[in-house]
Amino acid sequence: MNTSSFVLTFLGTMIVAAPAALVAVLGICSLIDRRLSETVTARGVHAAAILGLASVVGLCVLMLVWDTRTVVIGLGHWVHIGAAELHEQHYHFSVKLIFDRLSILFGALSFILCGTIGVFATRYMHREAGYNRFFVLYSLFMAGMVTAAVAGTIETLFLGWELVGLSSALLVAFFQERPAPPRNGLLIWVVYRVSDAALLLAAIVLHHMSGEGDFEKLLGTGPWPQGQVYVSGTEALVVGMLLLIAAAGKSALLPFSGWLPRAMEGPTPSSAVFYGALSVHLGAYLLLRVSPLLDAAPGLSVVVLLLGLLTALYAALVGQTQTDIKSALSFASLTQLGLIVAEIGAGHWLPVWFRYVPLLHLLGHACLRTLQFIRAPSYLQDRRMLENAIGSRLSMTQVASGDESRLLPLWIYRFALERGYLDALLIDYVARPFLQVFRWLDRWERKGIEALAGDTSSEAIPTSRCLEDVEQAV
Amino acid sequence: MTAFPLTDLPTHVSASSSTTDLLQRLRVEIDHAAHLLPAQGPITVFIHHNTLHAFEHLPFDTAVKQAASIFGCEPYLSEDRYRDELVRGRIRFDSLRTILQADLGDRANDLVVGLVSRLELRLAMLTCPIWTGPADELRWFMEETDALRRCRSDVSATERGRLISETQRWVMRDVRGNAAHRELFVGFDERSIESWDSATWEAFALQALWHVCRTGVRSVRPAVSSPSGFLRPRDLLFRLTGLDIDTWVHEVLIRFCAAFLDQGVAHWPLPNRSAGLYHSFLKMYRLWGGPRERWLSSLSAEAARLQDQKVGPLESILESLVALGVSEEEWGEFLSATLLALRGWGGMVREVESRGDRVPHPIPPGSLVEFVAIRLLLDRVALGHAAAEELGLVGPLSRVRSELSRRLPPPVPIAAEQRAMPVFQLAQIFGWSPGELHSLSCEAWPLLLHEIESFNEIERRRIFHLAYEKQLRVRTLDALALHAPRRRVGPPRLQVITCLDEREESYRRHLEELAPDCDTYGTAGFFAVPMYYRGAAEAYFVPLCPIVMTPNNWVEEEPVEEKVHRRVRKVQKALGVAAHKAHVGTRSLAVGALLTTTFGMLASLPLVGRTLFPRLAAQLRRLFGRAVQHPPQTCLSLERAPGIEPSPENGHRGFTLSEMAAMTERLLRDIGLVDQFARLVLILGHGSGSLNNPHRSAYDCGACGGSPGAPNARALAAMLNNRSVRLKLADRGILIPDTSWFVGGYHNTCDDSVSLFDQDLPASHRRELEQIQHKLDQASDRNAHERCRRFMSAPLTLTPAEARRHVEARSEDLAQTRPELGHATNAICYVGRRERTRGLFFDRRAFLASYDPTQDDAVGTILARTLTAVFPVCGGISLEYYFSHVDAAGYGAGTKLPHNVTSMLGVMDGAQSDLRTGLPWQMTEIHEPVRLLIVCECTPRVMHHILANNQVIQRMTENAWVQLALQSPDTGAISVYQAGEFRPYTPRVSQLPTAPTSADWYRGWRGHLEFAEIG
Repeated sequence: MNTSSFVLTFLGTMIVAAPAALVAVLGICSLIDRRLSETVTARGVHAAAILGLASVVGLCVLMLVWDTRTVVIGLGHWVHIGAAELHEQHYHFSVKLIFDRLSILFGALSFILCGTIGVFATRYMHREAGYNRFFVLYSLFMAGMVTAAVAGTIETLFLGWELVGLSSALLVAFFQERPAPPRNGLLIWVVYRVSDAALLLAAIVLHHMSGEGDFEKLLGTGPWPQGQVYVSGTEALVVGMLLLIAAAGKSALLPFSGWLPRAMEGPTPSSAVFYGALSVHLGAYLLLRVSPLLDAAPGLSVVVLLLGLLTALYAALVGQTQTDIKSALSFASLTQLGLIVAEIGAGHWLPVWFRYVPLLHLLGHACLRTLQFIRAPSYLQDRRMLENAIGSRLSMTQVASGDESRLLPLWIYRFALERGYLDALLIDYVARPFLQVFRWLDRWERKGIEALAGDTSSEAIPTSRCLEDVEQAV
Repeated sequence: MTAFPLTDLPTHVSASSSTTDLLQRLRVEIDHAAHLLPAQGPITVFIHHNTLHAFEHLPFDTAVKQAASIFGCEPYLSEDRYRDELVRGRIRFDSLRTILQADLGDRANDLVVGLVSRLELRLAMLTCPIWTGPADELRWFMEETDALRRCRSDVSATERGRLISETQRWVMRDVRGNAAHRELFVGFDERSIESWDSATWEAFALQALWHVCRTGVRSVRPAVSSPSGFLRPRDLLFRLTGLDIDTWVHEVLIRFCAAFLDQGVAHWPLPNRSAGLYHSFLKMYRLWGGPRERWLSSLSAEAARLQDQKVGPLESILESLVALGVSEEEWGEFLSATLLALRGWGGMVREVESRGDRVPHPIPPGSLVEFVAIRLLLDRVALGHAAAEELGLVGPLSRVRSELSRRLPPPVPIAAEQRAMPVFQLAQIFGWSPGELHSLSCEAWPLLLHEIESFNEIERRRIFHLAYEKQLRVRTLDALALHAPRRRVGPPRLQVITCLDEREESYRRHLEELAPDCDTYGTAGFFAVPMYYRGAAEAYFVPLCPIVMTPNNWVEEEPVEEKVHRRVRKVQKALGVAAHKAHVGTRSLAVGALLTTTFGMLASLPLVGRTLFPRLAAQLRRLFGRAVQHPPQTCLSLERAPGIEPSPENGHRGFTLSEMAAMTERLLRDIGLVDQFARLVLILGHGSGSLNNPHRSAYDCGACGGSPGAPNARALAAMLNNRSVRLKLADRGILIPDTSWFVGGYHNTCDDSVSLFDQDLPASHRRELEQIQHKLDQASDRNAHERCRRFMSAPLTLTPAEARRHVEARSEDLAQTRPELGHATNAICYVGRRERTRGLFFDRRAFLASYDPTQDDAVGTILARTLTAVFPVCGGISLEYYFSHVDAAGYGAGTKLPHNVTSMLGVMDGAQSDLRTGLPWQMTEIHEPVRLLIVCECTPRVMHHILANNQVIQRMTENAWVQLALQSPDTGAISVYQAGEFRPYTPRVSQLPTAPTSADWYRGWRGHLEFAEIG
């Protein structure tokens, strides 16, 4: 048994270590300005993905053979305050990986997609000026994604979560010589911060409740999806709501959906793997991971169900009017994502096996959408081929009959075309009042200091350009 | 919340009696401004054209400069690029000198303020980078680098020595003890001056020089940087506050235009589309429309007013111009600046409006005017909001504009240091001592500065560019002049007619190397058969001819076995409908959920397979699809009974016999193939197959309007095999023997496959065809091998067979952004007999059009009609590549990676941007931007006659958009067009390099190659 636990620990560690090593190699070489050649970078990406995938598969096989449903690997207690037996003061912070039916599948998906798209990108990015930068960020993304997938504590999850967010935002801003990509990258980063803040708050609340961030503690020791939570309904609701906000930001659920089409600024492979497949599904994955919490809190489940359905309806509506292929695909993606979330919410009232439905939906959707995204530049050819097969032009009748306003109220069309006014709603009616309050405070502070100092020393106080920068960006 | 009226005087404008005249003028102005918009049509039929077509009435150099300032783009390559080429030997130093000499004429040897000849001065400015920068940077540079301690590294030891010794002389003689020069000694120990070492002297000399230069420049009237172009209110606001209201306006405008122009991406089309851009916009935006952006808050009232008062688009533009305070004299400039702010979309509106036949869903005429109308409406609203918010400017908008210009800080005069810097550097290069410069008179300084500054960066790049072109011209003409005409060996066994495309140059060369008894011909790839064509498995007719022609005839591919075909079509249709439903389904709610949950995971198979093993996946796909992909056997329905009107209807398709005879005769006479027909004549159309490539059509045959030219080749072959056509041809003097057989075919320039149609030959020819197919296959391998040397991702050690597999994988690879390199190497066009170029290695750089001057009449009738196609088509390709390369982001489409197909018409960068016109960087990366050198085999007399009678050819030649040279049909002597006449050319070398085969010459080298004789 000792050997077997050693093998499992080794494989489990490899899963996280392989992409982390890639980050280290690519990152350090860039930092000391010894850029690796295209071929070496490509080999590194392939090796990390293959190694990681092999470890996942190996682990999975061994778990099946040895009939283990959950493997938990501790990577050390990093902070430990108070004696364990005195429950009151106990606080600890550990890095833990958990492998069960959920995380193994999601981890394998991450490696398959990251690996395939990594191969794709080594050819696609050939001779591009930012080749090295792309792969540094890409490896960071892969490491973050895998870490978040197999995280056993909320802190570990947060680490992966942050890496994914950071690398995504930077890759959206990849083409930095044009103004739009950095602007949209910053916008995404702002939304991600909101979601990160919610996740961090959830972590704090969790620690407050149980003294530790381990999912085992929160969700019970039963293997997923049969967890049994030990927290009260209210506590579950509070933590659950915070996690839901975090998930909504990451998965572009309402009301954060506006950023998803804007994320298509990056090169096609990163758009495909991030917004078609992995990054956007991370929110849904988080909800799946804490599904025992949903079982304990019917109120929370209702909210998740409603939010999912609303998002799905919204995205389906908006998707109908998108005129460019990448936006159309991103809203199609969001439609399914909304449904996946709704399925997770609905799981509360359905038998335990239903938890596998959103998981299956998620995996299938990720594969299909990635394929569609990387084929997006072929849209014109694909369409011509379809038209040839069918023998007539597509959608001729639709466009030719000009006046559909009788069938479809004009305002609905406009709502869809303007993407539900979500950008305006968030920027002009949420962010702006905040900024105005901060500006106002800033002015008062200035006046106060002037009054105290007794002279006009306002020159000494640096103007808060930062606020304006953000406003400019949004 | 905006506290000012959006328009000042809607009533009195409409009341004015001269409104109609004004509106008429306005329409003309808009039309005029619209000429600057990119003239690129829908991307599915990419037509190469001169990016600066609107400037063709100007000489090339003037045009690129003007366009550079209007569009904010680069006219030539960067100076650094040219200097690299100079170092590399691609630009020769002595050509720089001769070109400068020719450029300056008599003024070349004038002395500039007694220091140096103008020629030497300019030459130095070309070879040594003369740098100057912003005042702050310059100050930093002088203080923090050793610019004032050491001479520039490119200053020779002699000049450095001269500078030091002359300075010493001057200092010891005139400076010491002179109170006026006291400040020169700051930082130096004057007392020990006699024991200064050479480093100290060098530093002193440089500081003194810098001091003298600055003092000299200060004595000259300060220059002010010239105002750049017309400033729209948005530009003023942007300069003042950094706020760009165009981002607001464009977001709404792009979204709306894309919906209006959409050819079928969105499932819901724009409501009221048929009412036109303007009215559908007003109708939609007059709604309250939810919590829209704050700046848009006043739009709905304004839209409602415009609609209720029935203000038309032109009247609305007039209102906007008045409201924005644009005076009538400024209309032209203002409108073109406004249109150019979103040039891609504006251009597309114009293209779709004017060529409605090229899109499935055309838009009404006048759409561009409506586009301007809503653009200005949005501009007004945005400007009002921004001015009130940012600057607290409340009041009529017309005053906002003047207020903005008033607040704009005045232009800063150029600092003396900035102007002194070039003099300082040139002084080091020429070894002018501080004493010499100090003694310059007050009149001399302005002259010196003018002399230096008038040879500014653009002028330097112009000269560089001429030298860059000259080198290639000399090489080409040398090769043509020295190469002895080479004919095939023995009687012709095979004749091959291909497109004149420069990508076929290598294919023809390899084929001739493999089969010395074979003749090849080049002509425009539609083979003189203009038609609308529909394949048996295609949905609609496509025009297959150059864009300047409109076909009169329709041709359809018909299955031989109708029954089988119907069954196949049924299966195809069912599969197509299912595939379409599935695709739409994955984008919908319920079906999408069902599909992704159940079959979603299966998508990982093609995903992984096609990414990791593109070639294998493609073979599998083909194997699977063979059953339903193509009808087993087809033929073209070519013959139409005389007296029936041509139309796409059944029975009206095809050509009459006399039409066919006329077309075939024209083609055969064009290429000079009127006798000595071989037993087999192949006609190869070409196209390119690649995946994930929105610009794919740009790789197809330009002469077929951006489609593959296979049907044209097939049709021509069928016509020439037709007994009745042959009889008619015989009447006209072209006797095709019964033993000759024509076969149409298709060359895929991406995977280098050649497939032949209608192979049901007479039994007598079958064996020969088999042998020939073997040769073709070998030629394909060799051609692929030659192409592979240009792909960085293909090892140089590939064998021809491996190279073939490599290019096959490229064409099937989703991740490949360079499936092939297109026309990226084009530089030359030769119009003449193949003997002149046969056996010359032209490195896939030459368009080769066959033309036999001995069969033409005295005024060059045949040549003239060949050239009317060659000039705009080949010249257009060459110029489009030129501009997309010299400014990839401005004239070109930038990098392909973030491209996003929009409305089925074009590509945007990322989520939302202007439509990107021009060619993507990946297509033009290895291109050498030079103007096409057209060499015709004819006499000057014939050419003068053609020039005089053909405006397009004349304009492009006289304004130097192409270079023109002639080769004498009799002696082979070359003459070059210069300022209206043909001047004899003498080769610079006496011998060309030779190699036994092409592969021996290009082996192991990735870059462009010199031309050589093969065999």
